[in-house]
Amino acid sequence: MSGGERKKRGGGGGQGWEEAGAEFYQESYPAAIEADLQALQRDPSHIATLLPSKKTRVATTKRVRNEPRTTLRRRTSTRSRGASTVRRMSTNVHDVAVAMLPDLSENLSNEERIWEEIMQIKAMPICMAQKIQLKHQLQSATKLRLQGFDQLKWQRRKVWQQFRVRLKETYSKMELWHHSLKKIEGNFGTGIVAYFLFLKWLMFLNVLLFLLILAFILLPTILMVAPEAESCVYGTNSTNGSVACCSKAYQNINTSTSTDITDLVQGSGIMEFTLLFYGFYTYQTYGTDGDGLKYNLPLAYICTIIAIFLLSLIAVVRSAARGFKERVVEGEGQFYQYCNLVFGGWDYCIHNEKSAVIKHKALYNEMKAFIEAERMEEERQNRTREEKIKLFLIRLLVNIFVISVLIGSATFIYYIIDISYASIASYPVTSSDEGFQITLSNITQLLFEFLPYMCIVGLNLTIPMLFRYLIVLENYSPLVIVRVTLLRTVFLRLASLCVLLTSFYKLIVQEVGEDECYNSSNLQPACWETYVGQQFFKLYITDFLVQFIVTFFVNFPRSMIARHTENKIIRFIGEQEFDLPKHVLDVVYSQTICWLGCFFAPLLPLMAVIGSFFLFYVKKFACLVNSTPSSQVYRASRSNSLFMLVLLLAYTLAIIPVGYAIAELFPSKSCGPFRGWDTVWSLVISTFMDFPNWLQSILFFVSTAGFGIPAFIFLALLLYYYYAVSAANKHMIIVLKNQLVLEGHDKQFLLNRLSAFIKQQQDQAKFRQEQSSELGNFMQ
Amino acid sequence: MGIGKSQFSEEELQDYQDLTYFTKKEVMFAHQKFKALAPEKVGHNRNAKLPMAKILQYPELRVNPFGDRICKVFSSSQDGDCTFEDFLDMMSVFSDAAPKAVKAEHAFRIFDFDGDDMLGVGDLRQVVDRLTTPQRLNEADMQQLLQCLLEEADLDDDGALSFAEFEHIIEKSSDFSKSFRIRL
Repeated sequence: MSGGERKKRGGGGGQGWEEAGAEFYQESYPAAIEADLQALQRDPSHIATLLPSKKTRVATTKRVRNEPRTTLRRRTSTRSRGASTVRRMSTNVHDVAVAMLPDLSENLSNEERIWEEIMQIKAMPICMAQKIQLKHQLQSATKLRLQGFDQLKWQRRKVWQQFRVRLKETYSKMELWHHSLKKIEGNFGTGIVAYFLFLKWLMFLNVLLFLLILAFILLPTILMVAPEAESCVYGTNSTNGSVACCSKAYQNINTSTSTDITDLVQGSGIMEFTLLFYGFYTYQTYGTDGDGLKYNLPLAYICTIIAIFLLSLIAVVRSAARGFKERVVEGEGQFYQYCNLVFGGWDYCIHNEKSAVIKHKALYNEMKAFIEAERMEEERQNRTREEKIKLFLIRLLVNIFVISVLIGSATFIYYIIDISYASIASYPVTSSDEGFQITLSNITQLLFEFLPYMCIVGLNLTIPMLFRYLIVLENYSPLVIVRVTLLRTVFLRLASLCVLLTSFYKLIVQEVGEDECYNSSNLQPACWETYVGQQFFKLYITDFLVQFIVTFFVNFPRSMIARHTENKIIRFIGEQEFDLPKHVLDVVYSQTICWLGCFFAPLLPLMAVIGSFFLFYVKKFACLVNSTPSSQVYRASRSNSLFMLVLLLAYTLAIIPVGYAIAELFPSKSCGPFRGWDTVWSLVISTFMDFPNWLQSILFFVSTAGFGIPAFIFLALLLYYYYAVSAANKHMIIVLKNQLVLEGHDKQFLLNRLSAFIKQQQDQAKFRQEQSSELGNFMQ
Repeated sequence: MGIGKSQFSEEELQDYQDLTYFTKKEVMFAHQKFKALAPEKVGHNRNAKLPMAKILQYPELRVNPFGDRICKVFSSSQDGDCTFEDFLDMMSVFSDAAPKAVKAEHAFRIFDFDGDDMLGVGDLRQVVDRLTTPQRLNEADMQQLLQCLLEEADLDDDGALSFAEFEHIIEKSSDFSKSFRIRL
């Protein structure tokens, strides 16, 4: 196939190819052509193996070289490429080392280039002795010293590289859970490790969130001296409802009640008026009565919360986008499924015999399943109408059932919450003098306090199992099964959270008269933000404890029983696989609670850091000790994007109620940084009013329709443009692929012709030779 | 890591760091792992050549269906016996830092059983067989699998995968570089 002919047809897309091909011919032909011809004469049908695409790894080496972006390296790349071409041609690698050396007499390299080349030796597929030899030769070669600025630039690059190596070294020393991860990887493969990495990632995210809170909320509160509280004058009705009086009353309630051990887990009593909760923070600006530093805590509070949500969004979206990009590059996931399975199926990190056996089995099953799916696809097209209707009915029924179960559990939680509140209210606030004694009534009260959360967690444990049995009836393909189960479980969890939030809403949103601090007739808590914070605090603790208990006291005995019994039924009950979707949900759920609660309980991210730290070990135990390796093949890339998607969903759920609370709800008068304001947001607006005029007018302009509509149209156009580009690219891919196939056919055809031709010529030559020798014989 | 230090000079370590994807510390750590395979032999000669059977005791290689192929590909004497430098090369390619193209190059050689620089039907069949042992796909399934595989990847329809085609697949597979990896 001639390069010229292709160039005419190739159009825009194929230029890279052409270039590579052309260069190759120029480079290797003079040297190799002799040998090629000889080989050809020996075996004409062998001609296919002489094709550049078959013989060399030119493409790779070239690409590797070209990856760094400087044009400087161009020459380098051609040179080493030529070298590796030579290497592949000769089987005796050892004489080649000299040939691989660049021809230095032609063009003297400078130091930087030599150094770059040394850095690139590592990518060559040759053994170490040769690499070292090559390096020494490069080093001892004569080279130009760089002058002036270039020298400086090169030195800087070198130092930077060394610094990066150092950094990597220290980082790998500090890397958390390195050995745990290796162990899990060795036993369960990369898909499960992706989950643990996700857990680790979440922990670091929470550390970041906590640091924000520490820097802008906690430290100022601890370090700075609070201004003198306004004094409260009791008497007239109008002053009774003032901010100052309410705050005082609220503080009095809190300091007067005694503390129980039960308060520690509930976050009430003495715990209520600490840094843990919203209510503690002051509404005044620090440093107003003294001179020097001023710090507006309320403003800092709201800004920090907004920053936390923005930061989380950016982090989640970035990770999700990375996964998404990978999926797109993969070509919509389904293009190369067989190749992925065969070439990327084995996890090279597995080092445990037992999991290796299971991995073999899993791969076998997966291959079977692929082939089966292919057949099922055919079968589905041939499905009769009756079967279709039957399947549809079954799916419809199951879905109706699932929805009713979801609604049922939501109402159940709602009533439980109602009952719980009613019974708590019926207990009088025991202002007892016994101090830290645990009385029966205390315990019952505690039980009622935690009842809703125990119910929520209990439902979360049992209902998914039901779903898992139901899905078998529906006859979906395996991939869809994972997704549908996950989606249903997510809805269950979110539904229970929603019910919890609505019940809060009912309690919180009440008319508060001018002259009172809170609506005491309807059980409204004195400081509802703190109250909500306490609830999330409790929910987080319950959730974590249940994880702990279920792992160590339920699943662990189960797995022990399964390991030591021969009885099939008991084994069936006891044996458990590491059910990835469920564990992902556990983690995402606690993260949602953290997001929901961080406005009301600023220390919740710290709790989440500690929680996820221990959760790692709990899950590690669940994974390594309790579970047997899963018979399902989880792919790292696919599961990772799934995690992020679920997390994004949870984030959206979390931001709605918090946003509503900030923008719409009336903050309680007696506590917190926002007492006295109509809504939290009005503080931001009033701050905005203090901005300089020009800034205000700019921002006002941004919010008007005159700016908004053109901006929207512009964005829409941009979006459409990118959509069009991607569609065109997709089309181009198909066209190019077809073209490749066509080229392949052409090549095959020409090769066959060529080899036939050569053979014919050889035959003729032989014939002639024979004839002439016969003639010779005859002559003799 | 004191033991490692006595066996290598600073210069050698610098060489190794420049020529692999490892830092000096990791090189020494790799040497410890290598030494653990045959303590007395490596104790005498730090670059001793270990027979393939010994190298295959390395946990990840022991259970790997392509363990012997890996040894052969990385062995400088081409018979599967590895010196420490070969072992270091191997670990370097399998490390996180190695780029996809380098991994692909070696993976191709590992899968290329007959050494003809093409992944033919025979090679692919052997790969699949090694993946599924002790079970075997029956002939019809195997045929179908190979057919689907070639349909996806064999762009020029010659019934075998050339390196360019193989690399093309690897380029698009995000799982490959994640799974083709051994943590030191």
